Amino acid sequence: MREKSTTIYLGPQHPGITGNMMVKLQLEGDTIVKAQTHVGYLHRAFEKLIERRNWMQTTTILCRFCVPEPDPPEAAFALAVEQIEGREVPERGKYLRSLVLELARIQSFMLWYAGQTGSAGLYTVGQWSVGDRNYVLDLFEELTGGRIYHMYIWPGGVRRDIPEGFEDKVLRTMDYIEKRLDDYDRMMFDSAIFQKRAQGVGIINKEKALEWGVVGAPLRGCGIAHDVRKDNPYDAYDKLDFQMGIFEGGDVWARALVRRFEFRQSISMVRQIIQNLPSGDYLNKMPNPMKWTIPAGSAYGKVESVRGEFGFYVVSDGSDKPRRVHAKGPAYVHGVSLLEDVLVGQNLADVSFIMNSLGVCPPEIER
Amino acid sequence: METTFIKEELLFRQLETAFENVVLEIARKEAVLVYAPKELVAPILLYAKEKLGYKSFSHLSCVDWIENDEFELVYILWSPETKINLFVKTRIERENPIMENTDTIWRQINTYQREIREMFGVEFPGFIGEKEFILEDWEEIPPMRRDFDTLDYVSETFDERPGREDKQDVRERIANRSGEEIPDFAKKYSRE
Repeated sequence: MREKSTTIYLGPQHPGITGNMMVKLQLEGDTIVKAQTHVGYLHRAFEKLIERRNWMQTTTILCRFCVPEPDPPEAAFALAVEQIEGREVPERGKYLRSLVLELARIQSFMLWYAGQTGSAGLYTVGQWSVGDRNYVLDLFEELTGGRIYHMYIWPGGVRRDIPEGFEDKVLRTMDYIEKRLDDYDRMMFDSAIFQKRAQGVGIINKEKALEWGVVGAPLRGCGIAHDVRKDNPYDAYDKLDFQMGIFEGGDVWARALVRRFEFRQSISMVRQIIQNLPSGDYLNKMPNPMKWTIPAGSAYGKVESVRGEFGFYVVSDGSDKPRRVHAKGPAYVHGVSLLEDVLVGQNLADVSFIMNSLGVCPPEIER
Repeated sequence: METTFIKEELLFRQLETAFENVVLEIARKEAVLVYAPKELVAPILLYAKEKLGYKSFSHLSCVDWIENDEFELVYILWSPETKINLFVKTRIERENPIMENTDTIWRQINTYQREIREMFGVEFPGFIGEKEFILEDWEEIPPMRRDFDTLDYVSETFDERPGREDKQDVRERIANRSGEEIPDFAKKYSRE
């Protein structure tokens, strides 16, 4: 007898969904035969608001595109504006940017630990990592004044220099976090539950991955070595020694291994930055921000966030306000066309598990 | 030091020989621009994908140039081999905007086309995608067009939150109540 087909709506209010988003699932038994993404529950019209704001005010909106990762949008926008304007960034500014971006990666990895294990029912690691994440947020608070939203990366450099004794605090925090990683491993990667849930689940087709626009950890989890920091180096990344995490399989397990590896790389990069921090200016100052105009032109600035390439297409018409700022976050592909494809044939219980591993962040899709 | 654009120039020549009627520009390092008429966009995208190694599609954006009565569509491609971003730009008329559907070349274009149809009202004949993407029951003009005024829309559609009608200055009230004075430098922020 053929099983009866059922349609269910997962989200937008569902603890497993990674934000305000709904996935319409067609099921046979508990196997998914069709999935459809519905977004629009958190549309804040940021790109429209930006058209009414000047270039400086724009930087305060950008970080709100995706809550778990507020820094990559700032950096991508700054890169795009610098390309149009031809503004150089002082060496110290570049290093400080990379420092913030790597610290941002670290805090985002820790949130990912919580999401990924939480959706498999292993809550302990999440409690630990979110607790430990506060130590990184403390650093951000001291450096930028904000714990989550920093508005620290400006076109031309960074907003302020590091406070006294900050390097030492960063190094101590890194030592602490590195020690904790072994505990995380024991509870997560050594756990039979996690291994069983993750291996062979949510597989991305390797041959199609590049063509489908997969980026970041999901792409490297297919064994394809691409990372914006390596391919088109920005800020201080061409001077830092780091490796990409490349793992075969294309499943949730491979993506988890990529992130586990890159977490350690980020810690090493933070140490390298602190050790090699050049002296000098940290900001190539723009003119009076209220009268700051950018020459007409367009550019696409992109950086590597934890979830993959984050880009901004920025257009200036020569006035004091952006003509168009269009975001392209990794979730735009991962959360719609890719997710709809990967979910087919999977079990209903794995939906939020897969969404977490793809890094689906709905506020970034609808902005 | 003069920057040299060797790989960019190679791409420039390849495109120059393959297509007439296009304007090419090396914008900066790892960025090459193609300005093409709209019927050439699909052939350029296909050529870039099949022949030039532009395997990956990064972004599709739309810009409203209301003063010229045009929309500009920008297709951003990326080559894993040369690491160059290729921008294919085309202008279409703002009245009755129609653009060829290209989601058969890269399927993720489908999502972008859904967004641009909803936000700018550009039609892509022949493509399948649910009508509503981000908005719900929208009856105004497409909201990302420059002539849609967010402030007007908000003040016409939504009511002011109750309790704000008198527009009182809370700071002043507290100062009066406690018998303090607002310092001179802060007075300019007071409500009149």
